[in-house]
Amino acid sequence: MIFKQYRFEPLAQASYLVGCARAKEGVIVDPSDDLGAESYVLDAADLGLSLVGVFETHVHADYVSCARELSEMAGVPLHIHEAATGLVKYGFTPFTDGQVFEVGKIKIQAMHTPGHTPESTSYVVTDRARSEDPWFVLTGDALFVGDVGRPDLLVGDQALDVMDEVTRARTQFESIGRKLFGLPDHVEVFPTHYGGSTCGGVNMSGKVSSTIAFEKRFNLAMRQPDADAFARFVKETSKPFPDNYARIKSYNLGLIAKDEIGKGARR
Amino acid sequence: MTPQEADAAAAAGAVVVDMRPPKPFAVEHIPGAVNFQFNRADLADRADMALPRGNTYVVHAEPDPIAKVAVQILAEAGFTVQGYLEGGLKAWKAAGLPTEVLPLLNVDELKDRQGAYRVVDTREGFEYRFGHIPGSELLEWTEAWDEMAKVAADRPLALVCGDQVRSAYVASVLQRLGKPASLVFGGMADWTERGYPVEKSAK
Repeated sequence: MIFKQYRFEPLAQASYLVGCARAKEGVIVDPSDDLGAESYVLDAADLGLSLVGVFETHVHADYVSCARELSEMAGVPLHIHEAATGLVKYGFTPFTDGQVFEVGKIKIQAMHTPGHTPESTSYVVTDRARSEDPWFVLTGDALFVGDVGRPDLLVGDQALDVMDEVTRARTQFESIGRKLFGLPDHVEVFPTHYGGSTCGGVNMSGKVSSTIAFEKRFNLAMRQPDADAFARFVKETSKPFPDNYARIKSYNLGLIAKDEIGKGARR
Repeated sequence: MTPQEADAAAAAGAVVVDMRPPKPFAVEHIPGAVNFQFNRADLADRADMALPRGNTYVVHAEPDPIAKVAVQILAEAGFTVQGYLEGGLKAWKAAGLPTEVLPLLNVDELKDRQGAYRVVDTREGFEYRFGHIPGSELLEWTEAWDEMAKVAADRPLALVCGDQVRSAYVASVLQRLGKPASLVFGGMADWTERGYPVEKSAK
């Protein structure tokens, strides 16, 4: 198993490399344009890995993704959950809930966890060289350490959104409560944001990873008694909107060009 | 460099250094290319240990940003580098130029037909002494370029290391010389995982 967390501190954003040390193959999850496609390609080469795929947990609203450039540069598919079909205006390889990707001895299973966005997916990772049990999960913006992804980052064009804010919040509660919390307690949690990120609420921890068991016991949002209380709690504990999020999201959806993003992306 | 320029350089004696991982190299590479692991941290050191300074080199790495960095590292380390193949193997093939394959073996295939091969272990001496495939010979990867002409090729050669990085380098050097080399993918890691016999030697 090769596993690396790349952190872009100004946006408290995390991207990941998951690979098999034996097969010398790896994938990148949620690459950041602030780090740049070349940095991921070079890092994979340093590790002696062939990149075989690029994955998005969802279409991001608070940072500029380089998934398209990376997928093109490395000549590998860009994987996004099929719910992004029609919303996203560029080519990608859609997958379905439960779909399995094999990278040598590493198994990456898509777990559809909508709420933050309709296509939001967590990736459950198993190292078959160690165990058939999952080892960790990349939760994207579904479950954070101490908090959850906010459900109110709708794109500027409301017609493009298939869920309103309240539906998203309720869906988020179910995705985390029924799906992610159904994973074994020992499973580690690696989110796409931590600490100061505006994609979550005020209870987000600066710690960059957690476990399913710890979040089950101590995640304040998920301690709410039901989906409605959860939706109210998430709204009350939200931070201000991320800088320039509508334009960043529009770029990540393929609606506008990179030079139209303008200020606020902190690039 | 364009494929034509790289081809002309190779025809004039330049050595193509292919820095892709061993698997894609084995599947298809530029004829005569030598497979050498990329890594920003220690490429200069490893090149110094293994690649002769008298040669002229052309880099093949994919995608291009890796090739650019590799050229820079090798040039700064004092190697003569003419450039890198722009667009990689795709551009090479689009130009109608030929490729070659390095045959792959897994450890089960090697075990089943061990007598048919001359097994060459490319690790360092201490690793070989600690445990190697019975009957295998030691040719440390750092010595391969100087010693390649001496390797007997009365039988097909099966190149082994810990995984397949150093063995791919030696296999490619031998293949470049026209010797019948195969790469044992998975190397000693797979061999010992299967519980196949290993032999120790005192020296």
